[in-house]
Amino acid sequence: MLEAKGLVKSYRAPSGAAIPVLAGVDLTVPKGRLVAIMGPSGSGKSTLLNVLGLLEDADGGDVWFAGERVTGLSRRGQSRARGRFVGFVFQSFLLLPSLTALENVALAARYVGRNAGTGRRRALELLAELGVAERRDHYPAQLSGGEQQRVAFCRAVLNDPPLLLADEPTGNLDDVNGRVILDALCARARAGAAVLVVTHRADVRRDADAVFRMHDGILEPEECP
Amino acid sequence: MRRILREYVFTIVGIAIGVAGLVALGAMGERIVRFIEGGDRFVLGQISVAGRGMGMGTGFTAGGPLPAAALRAIAAVEGVSGVQAQVMLPLDPSTSQFMTLTQELVLGVDVSVPTPNRYYRTLPVHAGRYLRSDDRHVAVVGSSFAASHGLGVGSRLSLEGQSYEVVGVLERMLTAPDRFVIVPIADAREQWVAKDRMLRTILASGAVAVRAEDLNTGAAVGWADGADPDAVAQRIRERVEGVNVQIPSELSRLLRSSTAFFSALVVGIATLGLVIGGLSLANTIAAAVFERIRDFGVKRALGATDLQLGREVLSEALGVTLSGGVLGIAIAAALGMAVDGWAARSGQQLFLFSGRLLAGAVVFAVLLGAAAAAYATARVVRLSPAEAIRRGA
Repeated sequence: MLEAKGLVKSYRAPSGAAIPVLAGVDLTVPKGRLVAIMGPSGSGKSTLLNVLGLLEDADGGDVWFAGERVTGLSRRGQSRARGRFVGFVFQSFLLLPSLTALENVALAARYVGRNAGTGRRRALELLAELGVAERRDHYPAQLSGGEQQRVAFCRAVLNDPPLLLADEPTGNLDDVNGRVILDALCARARAGAAVLVVTHRADVRRDADAVFRMHDGILEPEECP
Repeated sequence: MRRILREYVFTIVGIAIGVAGLVALGAMGERIVRFIEGGDRFVLGQISVAGRGMGMGTGFTAGGPLPAAALRAIAAVEGVSGVQAQVMLPLDPSTSQFMTLTQELVLGVDVSVPTPNRYYRTLPVHAGRYLRSDDRHVAVVGSSFAASHGLGVGSRLSLEGQSYEVVGVLERMLTAPDRFVIVPIADAREQWVAKDRMLRTILASGAVAVRAEDLNTGAAVGWADGADPDAVAQRIRERVEGVNVQIPSELSRLLRSSTAFFSALVVGIATLGLVIGGLSLANTIAAAVFERIRDFGVKRALGATDLQLGREVLSEALGVTLSGGVLGIAIAAALGMAVDGWAARSGQQLFLFSGRLLAGAVVFAVLLGAAAAAYATARVVRLSPAEAIRRGA
């Protein structure tokens, strides 16, 4: 489902010097698999996820979604590809503060041309599945961290994307809530989605089909559990 | 709309304050413009003639007496359609010469003759009635004069020791007639004699044969349809001796030069209003867009294209600026009415909330709001979604 080859990325330091972050990363995440990336802070995990999800451009290398090369697409094409293929789960949830839980989830339908009523009904189903249906009219500030992440997860999967990218999805949660989110990601993988998780949680090894370790911009496979 | 109100309440208030400033300053400018335009319209609607020399006459009748023979000579000039004798006097000669734009005047008109002024065939009466040809010792007063002197229909007014009944109050015109006391010309002639000691002395001496009909400070002269008013005025100047004739276009130019300060003030006020209100509005809208930079990053992560985001921002900016604009107008109108309520006790009106001002303020707010939103959105969408999320965090 997701394939990346030779991804290279560096940031520019205030002095003008280039700081390499990705030094030629190759990665494949097939359908129905959950792949985990672990590694120390600053090793480039989040940057890799951003590049894979077309949230920022790589300096070199290519990304394919379902066999379609997406790195060469126009800005509009990349936006369409994100909406069609990718669901994001972020560490800090990134819910829109002025929208209710239900509105936040249903928002994902708006930009892919999906019928608003259908999107809303599906959003209600997902909120119920994740156990936060009764919080649908609450604003993010009125929700706990665990509830916010569940709402964010519902938003990520509203359009049934074939690829889920989760950047430290349990980083701000306690163990119980973190487990809920990891289970939900596993369930998505079992349902056929390609799931890529960046995490520090050691117990993800139990659930992952493959684990990679990132250091100094290089991705290396760990032994599969 | 409810969501916009909820999400942008402070933005709307910020815009409202900017628009309120713009509208309030604009309304003050409109008030001055109306005053100047009213005077201009009046002088362009007639040829104003006064007697040569100096006398008690004021305003456009400043000069010496204009005898009945001169009026008859004027009426005989080719192109003249009507002549109305007038007596225009300062209500209080001791102070009014210093305040020529706001002076209170007594205007005596010969109502047996149709008013020749093309733009003011009749003066609009708000309450009561206008003068009739058989009236004596009655007055029709301007709205500001009525307010500042506490007069209404049926009130009594003392002029040069003579009691007058107020039979009418004019509508507010926001120009000179607001401060007029209009009386029958015979009464104005009596007041002239009472005010002017030298005239009394001359009349008492019998040295000059003066009849009542010779006591005019000026005349309003009309021109026939199709005639060139400047040419008719020029002919009067050439053919009638002992008169000061104001060429309408010259008088308009004179009036404009004498009100140049006020015109400059209007331009200054309007510029100030546009700059203050415009900067406040543009800054508020742009800040509101930049404040939501993280939201834009999230929306792009959800698949929003630049066009979709641009449309969304522009439609929200439209809703926000419209709401802020309407609220701002309401604030300005409320403040203006409160201030004018206070000023009305002295017969003043400081604000004029004209339709063109209000429509202009709304259009200005919406266009500027859309431009500021478009500018801010263009800046925001240049960022990658990841960068937008990072910056907004």
